[in-house]
Amino acid sequence: MPAMKRTLASWGRIHPCTADVDSPAWADSIRFDASPALAYGLGRSYGDSCLLDGGHVIETRFLDRILAFDRTTGLLKAEAGISLDQILRFCVPLGWFLPTTPGTRQVTLGGAIANDVHGKNHHRSGCFGNHVGNIDLLRSDHSRHLLRPGEPLHSATIGGLGLTGIITAAELQLVPIRSACLDVELVRFRGLDEFLTISRESSETWEHTVAWIDCLAHGNSLGRGIFIRGNWSEHGGLDPHPAAKLAVPIDFPNFALNRFSIGAFNTLYYRRFPGRTSRIHQHYSPFFHPLDAVHGWSRIYGKRGFYQYQCVTPFEAGAEPMNEILRLIAASGQGSFLAVLKTFGDVASPGMLSFPSPGITLALDFANQGASTLDLFRKLDDVVRSASGRFYPAKDGRMDPADFFRSYPRLDEFRHHLDPGMSSDFWKRMHA
Amino acid sequence: MSPSRYHAAIFGATSAIATETLRSLVATRPASLLLIGRHAGRLETLAADLRSRGAECRVLALDLLDPEIPWHQHLADTTWDLFLIAHGSLPDQETTLTDPHLIGREIDINFISPIRIAAACTPLLEKQGKGTLAIFGSVAGDRGRASNYLYGSTKAGIDAFLSGLRHRLAKHPGVRVVLLKPGMTDTPMTAGMPKGPLFSSAEKVGLLAWHAIQQGKAVAYLPSWWFLIMNLIRHLPRFLLHRTKL
Ligand SMILES: Cc1cc2nc3c(=O)[nH]c(=O)nc-3n(C[C@H](O)[C@H](O)[C@H](O)COP(=O)(O)OP(=O)(O)OC[C@H]3O[C@@H](n4cnc5c(N)ncnc54)[C@H](O)[C@@H]3O)c2cc1C
Ligand SMILES: NC(=O)c1ccc[n+]([C@@H]2O[C@H](COP(=O)([O-])OP(=O)(O)OC[C@H]3O[C@@H](n4cnc5c(N)ncnc54)[C@H](OP(=O)(O)O)[C@@H]3O)[C@@H](O)[C@H]2O)c1
Repeated sequence: MPAMKRTLASWGRIHPCTADVDSPAWADSIRFDASPALAYGLGRSYGDSCLLDGGHVIETRFLDRILAFDRTTGLLKAEAGISLDQILRFCVPLGWFLPTTPGTRQVTLGGAIANDVHGKNHHRSGCFGNHVGNIDLLRSDHSRHLLRPGEPLHSATIGGLGLTGIITAAELQLVPIRSACLDVELVRFRGLDEFLTISRESSETWEHTVAWIDCLAHGNSLGRGIFIRGNWSEHGGLDPHPAAKLAVPIDFPNFALNRFSIGAFNTLYYRRFPGRTSRIHQHYSPFFHPLDAVHGWSRIYGKRGFYQYQCVTPFEAGAEPMNEILRLIAASGQGSFLAVLKTFGDVASPGMLSFPSPGITLALDFANQGASTLDLFRKLDDVVRSASGRFYPAKDGRMDPADFFRSYPRLDEFRHHLDPGMSSDFWKRMHA
Repeated sequence: MSPSRYHAAIFGATSAIATETLRSLVATRPASLLLIGRHAGRLETLAADLRSRGAECRVLALDLLDPEIPWHQHLADTTWDLFLIAHGSLPDQETTLTDPHLIGREIDINFISPIRIAAACTPLLEKQGKGTLAIFGSVAGDRGRASNYLYGSTKAGIDAFLSGLRHRLAKHPGVRVVLLKPGMTDTPMTAGMPKGPLFSSAEKVGLLAWHAIQQGKAVAYLPSWWFLIMNLIRHLPRFLLHRTKL
C-alpha cells in the first residue's frame, strides 16, 4: 500500500505532525524515498522525538512477531514493533519478565531501545539497553546491519532516538520470575531528605523503588510523598495481565475522565493507608503500569495537550535543587497530578545518548497553558542547569538546544553514526 | 489429559487477522499448522512466531492465484481439522475501477482464488466426514455501498457460495462451513484509515474467529455487535442509504 498523508501525534499531543506514513506489515517491505524518514512505534514519547513533519514516517507496530525464544536461557528475539504488553503476555506464563519496564507497557521494543528507557529497578539493572543483545538495523540506503553489543553503532542505536536507522528486530535478555506478583511496601515520607535516606536504605534490599510526590503541597508539607518499593514474590501464580482493548488510541477525544476524577484518585492514593508504612501483595500490572488500566487517560488534558517535564540532577548537588523545583512548581499553581521521583544508580548504559545518570530524577505532567507553562519551565531549567542536570528527550517538547549540547557529552561521538536519511522534529529543533 | 493435536491448513496465513486467529488457536491446544501464502520469507517469520508459542509449523509458498499449481498434494496423508482461507485485498476503489485488469485481479484475490481453494477442499472434507472449512468474508458483503462495492461484491459472492456449500455438506454432520465476517479491524489493510470507536483490534477479532471456528458457527460477525449494525444498514430504505456516505 502506498504511503498515506496522515496526521500523527505523540503522547503529549502538542505539536502533531503531518507526514507520509507507511505501515509495513513486514520488515522486507520497508522502503525509503528521497525525503527524510523516522520510525514511529506506539507514539508514547511525550514530545516531538517520534514525529517528523513533512517527512516519511514508518509506523512499526505491525512488525510484532517473536522470532525466537530460548525457554532455558530467557533470550528473546523479536521484531521491533512488538509491544512490551505483547512480550509480557507471552513470557510471564513461562516464568520470565522484562529486564526493566517503563511506566507503561504500550511501547514497542524498538521504541524502548531508541529511548533507552528506564524503570523502577534502574539502581540495580541499569537501562533497557543494558539487556539488549544483537540488533538488526536497516539504514536508509537499504543496507542491513547486524549490530553486536560493544560495537559503536550498537551503542549509538541504544538511546539513538531513531536517528541511526530502523531497528527491524532485536534480542532481549529476560529475567526469571517465580510469580507475577510483588511484595510491596509503601512508606510515607515528609520531605526530600527523608526520601533520599529511604532511597539509600532501600537500594540494597529492594529491587524496585520509586516515589510518588505531592506537587501541590507546600510550606511544611513540601516534598511529602509515598515511597514505593517492591521485590518479586515467591507466591501468586504466573498469570499475565489481560489484553488491552486497542493499543492504538482512537482518533477522537475521550471524556470518560476529567480533572476531578484524577484529583480524587490522587487523594485516595495518598490516604490509602493509615500509619507510616503499609505492605501489600500486588500483581505487576498495577505495580509497574498503573495508568495502563485507564484507557486514553491523557485526553483529560484537553485539546491543547500537555508537557511532561523530566530532569535528573546529580547526587553531588544534594536535595536542594529538587526542593527548589518543587517550591517553584507549588508557587506557580500549575502543579500536575502525576509526579514521580526516583534515584538512578551508577550502572552505566552502553547508549551514547542515554538519559539516566546517577542522581535524582523527577517527572511530572503539565497541562499546556501556553506562555505561562513555558515561563515556569525556564525557571526550572535554570535550577537544573546550575545543578549540572539534564532533560529526557523522550519526554521533551521544548528544551533549550544549549542544554542538550551541554549535558550529553557523547553527542559528537554519536553524530558519526547518524543515518543521513533520518531525522525527527526533535532533532531539527535542536539544530534550528 | 491434553487435547489431541489440531491439524490446520491456512491459506493467506500471513494476514494479520489470520495470524491472531492462529495465536489464539495455539494458546488453546497443541497444533500442527501448514502455513500457505505467496512469500516464503514471511511465512517463515510467522512460523517462527507460532513455533515460539508451541506450535509445529510447515510452510508452503506458492502463487494462490495460479490454478495450475498442484498444491493439493501437500494436503494428502493428514486428517484436517481446519481449512482456513484468509487472504484478501481492499484496493483503492476509484483507481481500480478505471482499469479492467485491476478489476479482474481484485476479483481474483478476493473471490476466484478462495472459491477454487474451497472447491478443492470440499472432497477432502466429504471423505473425512468431519472437519471445518472457514473463510473470511466481510461485513462489507452484506450490502453494496458506494464506498466499497467492488470489494463488497466479492465478499457477498463468498457468502452465497458458502451458503450453498453448507447446504451440500449438511448430510455430513461432522463437517462445518464457517463464514467469518469481521467488521473494521486494525490491520495493515486499514492502516490508512482514521481509527474510530467501531474499530476492533486484530487480536480481538482473531480470538473471536477462533471461537467461531471451534463452535462451527455458520456465520459469525466479529465482534457480534456488527450483526446489529449490518442489520440496520441492510434494512435502511434506499432513499435514506443514498443520503449517507457509507
Ligand atoms: C504513561 C507513560 C509512562 C512512561 N514511563 C516511562 C518510564 O518510566 N521510563 C521511561 O524511560 N520512559 C517512560 N515513558 C516514555 C516511553 O517509555 C518512551 O517514550 C518509549 O520510547 C515510547 O516507545 P514507543 O514504542 O511508543 O516509541 P515512539 O514514542 O513512537 O518513538 C520513540 C523513539 O523511538 C524511535 N523508534 C521507535 N521504533 C523504532 C525502531 N523500530 N527503530 C528505530 N527507532 C525507533 C522513534 O523514532 C522515536 O525517536 C512513559 C510514557 C508514558 C506514556
Ligand atoms: N481488516 C479489516 O478491516 C477487515 C474487515 C473485514 C474483512 N477482512 C478480511 O479478513 C481477511 C484478513 O484481512 P487482514 O486485515 O488480516 O489483511 P492483511 O493483514 O492486510 O493481509 C492480507 C493478506 O492477503 C494476502 N494477499 C493479498 N494479496 C494477495 C495475492 N495477490 N495473492 C496472495 N495473497 C495475497 C497477503 O499476503 P502477503 O502477506 O504475502 O502480502 C496477506 O496474507 C481478508 O480476507 C479481509 O478481506 C478484513
